[in-house]
Amino acid sequence: MTQGITRRTALAAGGALLAAPPIVRQANAQSAFDWKRFSGERIEVSLTANPRSTILIQNQREFEDMTGIRVGAEQIPEQQHRQKFAIEFASGRPSFDVVGISLHVNKRQVGRARWCTDIKALMADASITSPDFDFADFGAGAVEYSTQSDGRMDTIPEFTDYFILYYNKELLAAKNIAVPTTFDEMYDSAKRLTEPSRQIYGNVGRGLRNANVVLYSSFLLGTQQRDFLDAQRRLISDSPDAIWAGEFYKKLLRDCSPPGVSGFNWNECQTTFMQGRAAYWLDGVGFAAPLEDRTRSRVAGKVGYAVVPRGPANHHCAMFGTGFGIAEQSRKKGAAWYYLQWASGKANQLRYLTSGAGSPARTSPYRNEEAISQSRFSREFFNTLIASARISRPGLPEIVPVTEFRDTIGAALTSTIGGADVGNELRRATEAFRPVLEASERAA
Amino acid sequence: MRKVKRIVGNIGFGFGVLMLVSPAILVFLWMLSLSLKNELDNTDYPPIFIPNPPVWDNFAAVFERNDFVKYAINSVIVSFSATGLAILLGVPAGYGIAKMRATKAAVVILIARITPGLSYLIPLFLLFQWIGLTGTVVPIIITHLVITVPIVVWIMMGFFEGLPAELEEAALVDGATIWQAFRHVAMPLAKPGITVATILAFIFSWNNFIFAMVLAGRESRTLPVAVNNMLTFEQISWGPLSAAALLVTAPVLVLTLLAQKQIVAGLTAGGVKGG
Amino acid sequence: MDGAASLAGTAATTTRRRRRNYSRRYWWFVVPCGVVVLATIIFPWVFTLYMSAHDFKLGGGREYVGFANYLKLVEDERFLLSILRTLYFTALSVVLPMVLGLLAALAFHRKFPLRGLARTIFILPMMATPVAVALVWTMMFHPQLGVLNWLLQQVGLPPSLWVYAPETVIPTLVMIEVWHWTPLVMLILLGGLASLPIDPYEAAKIDGATAFQAFWHITLPLLAPFLVVALIIRTIDALKAFDTIYVITQGGPGTASETINIFLYLQAFAYYNLGYASAVVVVFFSIIILLAMVLLWTRARVRA
Repeated sequence: MTQGITRRTALAAGGALLAAPPIVRQANAQSAFDWKRFSGERIEVSLTANPRSTILIQNQREFEDMTGIRVGAEQIPEQQHRQKFAIEFASGRPSFDVVGISLHVNKRQVGRARWCTDIKALMADASITSPDFDFADFGAGAVEYSTQSDGRMDTIPEFTDYFILYYNKELLAAKNIAVPTTFDEMYDSAKRLTEPSRQIYGNVGRGLRNANVVLYSSFLLGTQQRDFLDAQRRLISDSPDAIWAGEFYKKLLRDCSPPGVSGFNWNECQTTFMQGRAAYWLDGVGFAAPLEDRTRSRVAGKVGYAVVPRGPANHHCAMFGTGFGIAEQSRKKGAAWYYLQWASGKANQLRYLTSGAGSPARTSPYRNEEAISQSRFSREFFNTLIASARISRPGLPEIVPVTEFRDTIGAALTSTIGGADVGNELRRATEAFRPVLEASERAA
Repeated sequence: MRKVKRIVGNIGFGFGVLMLVSPAILVFLWMLSLSLKNELDNTDYPPIFIPNPPVWDNFAAVFERNDFVKYAINSVIVSFSATGLAILLGVPAGYGIAKMRATKAAVVILIARITPGLSYLIPLFLLFQWIGLTGTVVPIIITHLVITVPIVVWIMMGFFEGLPAELEEAALVDGATIWQAFRHVAMPLAKPGITVATILAFIFSWNNFIFAMVLAGRESRTLPVAVNNMLTFEQISWGPLSAAALLVTAPVLVLTLLAQKQIVAGLTAGGVKGG
Repeated sequence: MDGAASLAGTAATTTRRRRRNYSRRYWWFVVPCGVVVLATIIFPWVFTLYMSAHDFKLGGGREYVGFANYLKLVEDERFLLSILRTLYFTALSVVLPMVLGLLAALAFHRKFPLRGLARTIFILPMMATPVAVALVWTMMFHPQLGVLNWLLQQVGLPPSLWVYAPETVIPTLVMIEVWHWTPLVMLILLGGLASLPIDPYEAAKIDGATAFQAFWHITLPLLAPFLVVALIIRTIDALKAFDTIYVITQGGPGTASETINIFLYLQAFAYYNLGYASAVVVVFFSIIILLAMVLLWTRARVRA
C-alpha cells in the first residue's frame, strides 16, 4: 500500500474544500468553480436508511455552510425506499432532486427509463465541478458498476458492498479450527462447531426469501458458471452448477445453522452472531460497525474477518453497490450536483471507511494508513476489504424485475432449508421466472 | 364441603381471568421493559425483565434520530381531520339513512366497510400523483376517510334507529324543520353514539399504517410509518424501536383507559340492538 | 371493528321494514357524505376494473388486454396458494377469537372484584397500534433469544420456531390476530349477555338443570344472533389483515404466510404490475362478497 496520503493530508484536503470557496471566488468570479454559486437553493435528498446515509445526514450542516444550499434529506428503509423512488420517478414528478440507488437492484430499471441525468456531462463542466473532485480516485470497478450499458453514467459511485466472512474468534479457537479458505472447509468446520445443546451453531445466514438470494449467489459465484444469466441473458438458475450451489446453501443452513433460520434476515442473523451464538456469518461489510459496538454486541473485539472462501471452480465474493443519482426532472441539477460532489467526496468516503459504515467507492481512503491505524477496526478488517475488492463480482443479475426474481428464487431456496429437493425447487422457480424475464427483456 | 368447592371454584375462576388478561399485560410490560434497557440487556438470554437501572437513552434516541415530533404532529392532524370530517359527514348521513330506511345506501357503506384498504390504494395513489398532491398530508386525510366514514355512518345508523321517533315527530308537528329536529332532538339523544364513533374512528385512523406508508413523503409521514422506519438497515436496535412503539401506541391506550366506560357501553349497546 | 352497532344497523334496515318515512327530504342528510363516499370509494372501484383489463405498468404503457390478467391469475400457482392460505388464516382467526371471546364474555358478565380494571386491560390490545405491537412481537419471537421461548421453557414446553418456520408461521400470526381482536368479540357478546331475559334461567333452575345445561340450552341459543354478528365482523377483518403480516414476515418464510393481501401488495408496489394487481383486487373482492353473502344467509337462518 502506498504510504503517500496520511490522515492529516486527507483532513487537510477536507479542510481545503471547506476553505476553498472564498479564495476561488476572489480569483475568478466569472467561470471558475464556486461552492456558493447555488447559494439559497433548496434540494431534496432521498436516501436508503443505513449507516452511510446517517453519516451524510449528520454532517449535512458542513455542506449547507459551505454552499449555502439548504438540504432536506431523509432516509427510509430500503424496501420502501426502492418502491417509493421508482413510483415517484414513474409518475414523472419525483419529489427529490438527489436519490440514493442500490445498483444491484435498480440499475437497469433506472437506466432504461432514463430517470437520472448523465453525470459525465455535469462533470465535464469545469465551472460547476470542484477542482478537488478527483474522479480518477474512484475505483474502476465502482465506476463500471455505475455506468449503464449505453455508456451513460447516471449515478456517482458511493459504496461497494462485498460479502465477507465474519467469524467468532473465540469459538474457532476453542476447537482449534483454522479460518476456512474453501467452501468444503467452511462446511466441515461449521459442522464441528455446531452444538445445539449449548445453542451454539457453526453458521448463521440469511434464509428469508428475497434476502437469501445474495447469500446463495456467494456460493454460485464459486462455480464454473458464476452468474444467473448466460451470455445471451437467458436465465440459467437451474443448471447443474446452480443446483450444486443450492445444495451447498441447503446443507450449510440446514445442518449447521440455528433452527428458524429460514425466516432470518440480516437482523436476526446479526442478533444471533452478536450474542456469540454462531461461529460464521457471511454477509455485507457494513455489519462490522454494530458487531464491534461494545454497547450492543457481546462479541466486540472477538470478531474475525476473512474473504469469502474459495469455491470449487472460482474464487469470488458477491459485490453490490450504491450510487447517487440526480433526477432528470430536477430543476436544481447544479445544486444537486454539488451535493453529489460533497457526499461522494474524499472526506465522507474516509468517514465511511473509518467508522466501519462500509467500503467506500474511492480508493484514497484505503491508502490512508494513519486513519486506518487509528480506526477502532482491526487491520484484518481493512485487509479483508482490499482483498475482497480484487475478487469481487456482481452478486445479482442486472435485470429490471430484480425484486420479483429475488422473491421467486428466494422462496425456492427457503423451501430447501425445510428439506425440499434443490433441483426441483430451482427448476420450478426458474420456469416461473423465465417468462417474466423474457417479457422484461423484450420491452428493452 | 360445599364451601371448599366454592373456594376452589373461585380460585379457578380467578386463575381463568388472570389467563385472559395476562397476554395483554405480558406484551405491554415487555414493550416497556425493552424500552428501558440498554441493547446488551435487551438481547440477553435468559431475558432480563426488570430494567436495572432503567435507562432513558432509548427515548432520547427516538427523538434524536427521527423527526418524531413532526410525525406526531402529522398524526394528530391526520387523525383529527379524518375523524372530524367523518363525524361532520357521517352523523347526518347515518341519520338520513336511518330515517329513510335506505337499504341500498346502507349496502354501499357495508361494501366500503368490507373492502380491504389495500385495494383503494392503487387508484387513489395514481389519482394523487396526477393532481400533484403527494407529499402533503391532504391525501392521507382523504384516504383515512375511507376508514373513518364507514365506521361513523354504521355506528350512527344503529343509534338513530334505536331512538324513539315520537320526540322528533312531536317537534315536527310543532313546526320544526327536519334539520332542527335532527340538530336539537335526535343529536343530543345520540350523544353516546357520537362519542363512541369518534373514539373508534380516531383510534383506527391513528393506527392506520398502509395508506401513509405508500402515500406519505418526508414531510407528511405519520407515526406508525415512522416507527416502521426505525428498522434501519444494518443496525438493529430493540430499545429505541420499543421506545418508539410505546410512544406511538400510548396515546390510544390512554384514550382507551379514559373512555373505556363509553366504549364498552357504546359497543355493547349496539350489540343489544343486533339481536 | 366498528362494532356490533354497524351490523345491527343492517339488521334493522333489512328486516324491520316499517312504514317508509314520509320525507324524501332526508336525502339531503346523506348527500355530502355520499359525494365523499363516491369519490373515495366508488371511483377507485371503477378505476380498478379499468386497470384490471389493461397491462398497466407503472411508468410504462397501458395496453388493453381484456381478460388476460384474469386468465393469468387462474394459472398462477402462487396466487391460488395465497387464497388457500388466506382461508386457512381466516378460519383460525375467526374460530379462536369466537371461542375465547365467548369465554371472556361469560367471565366478565359475572361480578368479581377488580372487574372493571380487568376488563379494561383485556380490551387494550384491540386499540393498540398494530404496527408498533407487531415490531415488539417480532423481537419476542426470536427462536434463540426471544422471551416467548424462554417462557415456554419455564413451563416445561419445547421451544417453538414461531414465525421462523413455514409450519408455524400462520398459527403464530393467528395468535397475534387473536390477541388483537378477541376483545371485540367479547364486547359484542357481553352486550348480548346483558340483554338476555332472566325467566328461562329461573325455570331451568326449578327443573334442576346444571349450569352447563343452562348454558348449552338457554344461553347459547339466545346468544346466537350476537354470535353471528361477531362472526361476520371477525371474518371481514381477518380477510383484511395486512399490517401485522407485512411488518413481521412480509409473506415469508418462503411464501408460507403470503396471503392474498401480501401477494396483492407485492404485485402492485414491489413488482409494479398494477393491471395484474387490480385483477387480484377484483377476484379478492368477489371472494369477500361471496363469503359475506354466505354469512348473511347464515344469519337469516339463525333468525328464522
